[in-house]
Amino acid sequence: MYIHHYSCISPQQTFEHAHVETLHESADNKLTAKEPVYKGIPPGILRRMGKAVRMGIGAALPVITQQPAIDGIIIGTANGGMEDCIKFLNQIIDFEEGMLTPGNFVQSTPNAIAAQMGLLSKNKGYNITHVHRGLAFENALLDAMMMIKENPGNNYLLGAVDEISAYNYNIDLLDGCFKKECISNKDLYHSVSEGTIAGEGAAMFLVNDNAENATATVKAVQTIHTTDEMEVNRTMQQFLEQTLSGKQADILLTGENGDARLLKYYWGVESFFGEHTSIARFKHMCGEYATASSVALWLICNNHQWPEHMIKKQGEAAPVRNIIIYNNYRGVQHGFMHIAV
Amino acid sequence: MSRVFVTGIGIISAIGDTATKNREALINKQCGITRLSLFNTKYTGLRPCGEIKVETHELKKKLRAHEKGATRSSVLALHAFEEAVADAALSVKQISSRHTALVGASTVGGMCLTDELYNDANRSENGSEYLSSYDCASVDLYLQLRYSIGGVINTINTACSSSSNAIMYGARLLKSGLAKRVIAGGTDSLAKFTINGFNALHILSPEKCTPFDRDRKGLNLGEAAAFLVLEKEEDIAGKKVYAELTGYGNSNDAFHPSSLSDEGDGPFLCMQRALQKAQLPASAISFINAHGTATENNDFVESQAMIRLFGIPPPFASTKANTGHTLGAAGAVEAVFSVLSLYCQEVYPGVHFSNEIEATGLKPETSYRQLPLQHVMSNSFGFGGNCTSLIFSKV
Repeated sequence: MYIHHYSCISPQQTFEHAHVETLHESADNKLTAKEPVYKGIPPGILRRMGKAVRMGIGAALPVITQQPAIDGIIIGTANGGMEDCIKFLNQIIDFEEGMLTPGNFVQSTPNAIAAQMGLLSKNKGYNITHVHRGLAFENALLDAMMMIKENPGNNYLLGAVDEISAYNYNIDLLDGCFKKECISNKDLYHSVSEGTIAGEGAAMFLVNDNAENATATVKAVQTIHTTDEMEVNRTMQQFLEQTLSGKQADILLTGENGDARLLKYYWGVESFFGEHTSIARFKHMCGEYATASSVALWLICNNHQWPEHMIKKQGEAAPVRNIIIYNNYRGVQHGFMHIAV
Repeated sequence: MSRVFVTGIGIISAIGDTATKNREALINKQCGITRLSLFNTKYTGLRPCGEIKVETHELKKKLRAHEKGATRSSVLALHAFEEAVADAALSVKQISSRHTALVGASTVGGMCLTDELYNDANRSENGSEYLSSYDCASVDLYLQLRYSIGGVINTINTACSSSSNAIMYGARLLKSGLAKRVIAGGTDSLAKFTINGFNALHILSPEKCTPFDRDRKGLNLGEAAAFLVLEKEEDIAGKKVYAELTGYGNSNDAFHPSSLSDEGDGPFLCMQRALQKAQLPASAISFINAHGTATENNDFVESQAMIRLFGIPPPFASTKANTGHTLGAAGAVEAVFSVLSLYCQEVYPGVHFSNEIEATGLKPETSYRQLPLQHVMSNSFGFGGNCTSLIFSKV
């Protein structure tokens, strides 16, 4: 599967005039998306959109503008419009199930992003929303790869969105996902405590089976559910054998996120790569969220000459051709991707 | 491309906790829509629902589901999942294989615990046991963990067509060689969230719903879970085979966030695409398990789309008057009913129907009968214009 156009709204300067060398800092353990002035969304509709829908549509529009003839929309999002969801929930409780307005209810369903995109682009093609938490994007990617095989010549909008809301931040904080002490994203990988920092964003891609002028190739994707690091290692080993067929990976891009509990998985995975391979990280840029691996893919499309702050270990590889992404969500959901550039 | 067969089914709904009981209830025109007695809401007595009359803790006891954080949606899913895998005679080893995929669907997920969610979202310490159970994925993560399922695990949410898309995704995983067997379906339990949401949209009926009736007053919500075991042609020797999944089509109506266009492009296109996938002419369809929610909008548009595609539509009915609209589970529930229809060569009648919609003149089946069925279509349309149609065929 080939990626042709790509767009990203994130806590960094990734939308229009992308500039990721300068690292924008987190505040209160949150990396909040730098939302652009949204062009191309009618103001009346924009006003009613929650942040997740807004970011999703905002990131998708430049992609759709470059390739208007899309055959389907495939979105991964763990929660969709969480803020709207909880606004409606609060109404239910606060007004004791009194007279409620349905706007937040309709906006809160996770499929609202793909649906709104279909509505705005008048696209009546395949339309789906994968919500499998930390593997929602990987499942969307797998779906897109199958669609392209089943329908040669078709173009799909593939993407992922998730937002920080005060409420899901609170629930995840109670659940031990975020650090109790306040840290800066600049120091994320020096932290030795449990938990990480929260993030959000949207990344969108135009994918098809046309190799000509493609930015990147998605060679393979694999997922597993386990807490056993040996199982993760076995899967990585098999994945590399199958997809690289003897070649070496030039870069390993991992979802390391400063959570001490997850380091064992990342160390295990890194041990498969030698001097040749550079190791890079991205969660200090976008924070942790269920579909953050979509940002890793965007970074590869944007430019694989990455700034110093992303590099954990400089390898010998030049030029870069094969990149492996490994992401771990909460120690249970593991995603592996092989991207060629 | 391998052919895909249904080798196991499992269901729990307001009309029964097994496939056999559901079938008997459908034959006997039994309606599971009642006054709420277990689920606590201000709308008890005002909005009848398809409620499963078993408390969550009793279900947990029966299934030995003592894990912390298991919600009603997860436990209902487990109930249907266990029936389906037992029906398909899958061993524990087969279920845990890395060649076994699980594709679930839900719209409410753990948000059935609306009050707990509210409390956890607003307190600063002592969270409940459900902190990681509120999302839709929590259901399938629960099943994955309980059975150590090793293959692709996914959760889909396209509102009321969610589990039809789960079945479609499952079939595609099989055909593309990414799984050897797939357990696909969905679950949703009653929730303040959905009752208040649909009520605010003024589409909840104060009476038992009357699909395709001229005087329909809206839908009744229901709760259910259903799963189907899908296997490939080369793996079904010696097995009971209910039906073949021959067609599926997905489309978007691209008209409005919460209602369908008068032209019904979304419903029309998904049915048409399912026929194309199955390589069947419209005339080959013997019966349609319609989406038929009994809202003003859906039943009119679905009727128009059927007329547009079929000219004179084949016999059809909606089982939502039996089960209520079970949202994320509805596609799988009705897939199970479609598969049973084919396997038993019988048509389940629509209940509570009196007068046809004047503009369409379409009349659903109203009495049980045995009928030679070759291909049954099952429709599911959701908010956001998400429309999906499945076609099951006799083996």
